[in-house]
Amino acid sequence: MEAVTWLLFTIGIALILAKIGDAIIERFEFPGVLGELIMGMVLGNLVYFGLVSPHYLPIVSGQGFTTTATEISEFLAKLGIIFLLFLGALDTDIEKLKKTGLTATVSTVLGVFVPLVLGWFVLMKMGYPSREAFAGGVLLTATSIGLTVRVMMDLGVLKSEVGAASLSASVMDDFLGIALVIFAVGSGSLIELSAKIVLFFIITGVIWWYLVDYYIKFAEKLHVEKGVLGMALGMMFLFAALAEGWFAAAIEGAFMMGLVLSKLPEGKRLMDDVRAIGYGLLIPFFFVHTGAMLNLTVFKNANALVLAAVLTTIAVVGKVLGRGFGAWITAWGRGRDFLFTKENFWMSLQMGIGSIPRTEVALVDLMVAIHGGAIPPEDAPEFIAATLIFITVSVLITPPLLKWAFRREIEEARATKVARKVERIQETKEKIKELKGSQ
Amino acid sequence: MELENALETFHSMKVRSIMPRPETLPVVERDAEIINVLKLLRTRHHVWVVENRETMRLFGVIRYLDVIDVLLPPKSYKFKLGTTSRTMKSLLGGATRAEDVAEKNPLTIEQDATVLDALMKMRKYRVQVLAVVEDGRLVGEVSLRILIDELLRLLRVGGAQWKQ
Repeated sequence: MEAVTWLLFTIGIALILAKIGDAIIERFEFPGVLGELIMGMVLGNLVYFGLVSPHYLPIVSGQGFTTTATEISEFLAKLGIIFLLFLGALDTDIEKLKKTGLTATVSTVLGVFVPLVLGWFVLMKMGYPSREAFAGGVLLTATSIGLTVRVMMDLGVLKSEVGAASLSASVMDDFLGIALVIFAVGSGSLIELSAKIVLFFIITGVIWWYLVDYYIKFAEKLHVEKGVLGMALGMMFLFAALAEGWFAAAIEGAFMMGLVLSKLPEGKRLMDDVRAIGYGLLIPFFFVHTGAMLNLTVFKNANALVLAAVLTTIAVVGKVLGRGFGAWITAWGRGRDFLFTKENFWMSLQMGIGSIPRTEVALVDLMVAIHGGAIPPEDAPEFIAATLIFITVSVLITPPLLKWAFRREIEEARATKVARKVERIQETKEKIKELKGSQ
Repeated sequence: MELENALETFHSMKVRSIMPRPETLPVVERDAEIINVLKLLRTRHHVWVVENRETMRLFGVIRYLDVIDVLLPPKSYKFKLGTTSRTMKSLLGGATRAEDVAEKNPLTIEQDATVLDALMKMRKYRVQVLAVVEDGRLVGEVSLRILIDELLRLLRVGGAQWKQ
């Protein structure tokens, strides 16, 4: 009984601290998730440094702290990942995605491929086994568009060609980042795994695509409180169970269910309820739990710092190079003459820099890789440390870099504003003159 | 008519018999400027967004409450996975056209559905208005205002027009 009391206490403390941390960090215009991670780190290290007994704060698991209560909190965090991905997919506009242009598509593929291969290769050179190195590469693939959108909005360039392409590319590389993790955690031969993936997508993406309408209509006829929501979540968990059983990656099921449901207006109307459960309870708990997994004593070991430095460098350079080159090579659909122009270079650089930030999906991939066994428990602390560092660095450097890359557009916008002002003053003066002349 | 009888009749009425004519609906084309949408929303609770007025193919809906997202500055948004679509509606963030702020694929109901069906759907999804669509074309709407009007008409307790 006492264990339940302290588990409930921990959930309460975790949620309160998560929201406070989120609010503080948002004041500095950084993603709130950083605040939630920091709060988790504080809580976790109270246990690691022996200041609080793990019995009273069952938020950390592994590293000799696992109890039934910590297993429950770990499961709650896993539910948080499932809801995060379900919500992310539900918010997707599939029709818009279908219209994604060549530049966004090519730059997405290269923007995922370059950091993945670079990370995989360098980690193997550092002595990590191939599967673990691949998982390390996958962590670097998905961009978090939120920060880039906010900065681009502030700069007034979101509606530009680069802004629109960046948005589409970032949604697509989330898809790839989420899909690629299957290859890191999936077991069996490559053929067996590929067959399972194909079958999974036929069931969840093709058959379900045609059946979901009837399913929701059936749910509507039940006339019970939150019947549609319950039925939708039920099916999401069934898909998650299927994905967990086949690839040790429940998120794939949640993601596919959200994606298919997003095509229906009824599905979109569920977002407020899913958001309430997700952001009210499970998702912040997941971030706090992830932060709590960072044992600061890991930095006594130089390996963690080296890994952090390597992953951060590849995360930044790999993305800018991959996505930037992908955009450059398409010449933004303006033909060969545009290829070697200064404008193509700058637009492609802007596209590359916009893809630097990483947050949620990197953390999701990290947790899936750890729980799925792609990153073994003995290496987990250094991967957690390295991931949290490259996430922090990526969100800190993106705003100033974007401002620098878009400086010409900002200047032009300012100049246009000033010119308009001068024009208006001139018009007013002329009107006054006319009025005086007529009197 | 007594309240019970009136409600019974009211619940079994077909949507087709109470929906307004399409030409009276608050409609804008998807490339209409947001300012025109706001002008309509001064007097209406929602605006339907159609591909164009000739085909009347339904694109989306802008509800009264959506105006909050339109008017807020970009800085007020929390950029989190699962909230991006809402954050793209800000005027200061770059939204300029009706299509930028409309909720695509609004909830619909068939013309042959009853008022009770409409009410159930409204409660289930917590919306005040449903589009009536035929082959993807907007042909009418059912809103709470229309439903209230209809009930009062049945009860003959409204304005002079209901007593005729």
